Amino acid sequence: MSRPLEEILFGNPRPQAQAAMRAVSVAAAALLLLLAAGVALRFHTAGQLDARFWEFFAWPTTWAFLATGLLGTLASAAMAAAIALALGLVLLLGRLAPLRLVRWPSIAVIEFLRGTPTLLLIYVCFLVLPQAGIKLSTYWMLTLPIGLSTAAVVAEVYRAGVLAVPRGQTDAARSLGMTEAQVFFLIVFPQALRYIVPALVAQLVIVVKDTTFGYVVTYGELMQNAKVLIANYHALVPVYLVVALLYCLVNYAISRASKQLGGPMH
Amino acid sequence: MGEVSKLLADYGPAFGQALLLTWKLTALSFVPGFLLGMVVTVLRLLPLPPLRFVLTVYVEIFRNIPSVALLIFIVFALPDLNVLIDYEPSVILTLMLVCSAFTADYLRAGINTIPGGQMEAALSLGMRPIRVIYSIVLPQALRAVVQPMTSLLIALMLSTSLASQVPFPGRELTALVSKIANDSAAGIPAFAVAAAMYVATGLLIAWAGATLEKKVRILR
Repeated sequence: MSRPLEEILFGNPRPQAQAAMRAVSVAAAALLLLLAAGVALRFHTAGQLDARFWEFFAWPTTWAFLATGLLGTLASAAMAAAIALALGLVLLLGRLAPLRLVRWPSIAVIEFLRGTPTLLLIYVCFLVLPQAGIKLSTYWMLTLPIGLSTAAVVAEVYRAGVLAVPRGQTDAARSLGMTEAQVFFLIVFPQALRYIVPALVAQLVIVVKDTTFGYVVTYGELMQNAKVLIANYHALVPVYLVVALLYCLVNYAISRASKQLGGPMH
Repeated sequence: MGEVSKLLADYGPAFGQALLLTWKLTALSFVPGFLLGMVVTVLRLLPLPPLRFVLTVYVEIFRNIPSVALLIFIVFALPDLNVLIDYEPSVILTLMLVCSAFTADYLRAGINTIPGGQMEAALSLGMRPIRVIYSIVLPQALRAVVQPMTSLLIALMLSTSLASQVPFPGRELTALVSKIANDSAAGIPAFAVAAAMYVATGLLIAWAGATLEKKVRILR
């Protein structure tokens, strides 16, 4: 599309329409400011703007503690992403295998991991596995379920990429005498990766969001550390607001990166 | 299999209720979330810069915030601001807000698939811009987003599991599994039954979405 829709629809308004648009804009801005003022007033009357609720954000220790939490979040997310990328490839190879005995179980595993909530898998690692005598550290109780459920999604993303590679590439590689493994790993998969990098990076946002469940298993990530801060200062609203903002910033940065990577390729 | 049948004898009705609650939460958050997302999409098209800015911030916030962080904020922090919302409406509100932000994002992408010539043609026929939006742009955008909306509905259905994070009188599937795992040693069969219910629901939604997609898609 050459021009964005907004410009086609409202690009060259008549003078009266222009004046009306400006008036409505000002009215909308006033209304939104009034809304913001109402929220601020609500904070004030509830006493949430008192200095004791906010002063500890001026202390470096608070930020050091939140940074530790954020590092915990990122450590778990990075490991989960690594598991997902590797296991996703294994599941993809199983999914594409010509042998039914390999293909059907792979499809079952993918559908199962994709179709169950990550939180349910976390509860299994947290509550059920210890009954069976398997004890994981809190880090793995959080990271392993996230990695597993993301792996299934990643396998499907990989598959979409592989199917997008033109068939002529496979035929040409085969006619050069490459083995099936060479065709896949040297020709098809590298090209597939280039198609799906934006989708993979976008998946990282979901991984970071899922690590929020860390407080369920009391792993020291951002949300868990926020709860500790709240227990110390009894400042629910400020701490949760700041933490939510931190999550939004991290995820927004990842989303932006994925949009950048999604630019023209050739 | 013996363990599963014993579990179903003990907890069968509870699982039925939990599944129904999961479906109910999904539907109650998807429908208003979808409508709100549509409203946000249309309002973002209007030439009102302040409104556009605020709605873009709205979409980015609720697309990027972890749902559970939002739920915990609504349930535990809002009472400090003298805003009291019951547990079940809190869960629905959380999922609805997140759903509306993703809907707005997908619909915008759907709008981008419509060739600009169509809008120019409609304008030159004398249609007003608002008329163009609801009789040319929206119908085509809606038909273009069936597939992403199906994935969103499945993701939303799985996200209802976060209702287990608030002390809810009713129990949905994940809360039920964690209760059974706490009370008895039947954790693994309980998990298997709940997982089967989630997977079946997801496949059902995916099938319905694919059928709808085949009916309404526009080949360009």
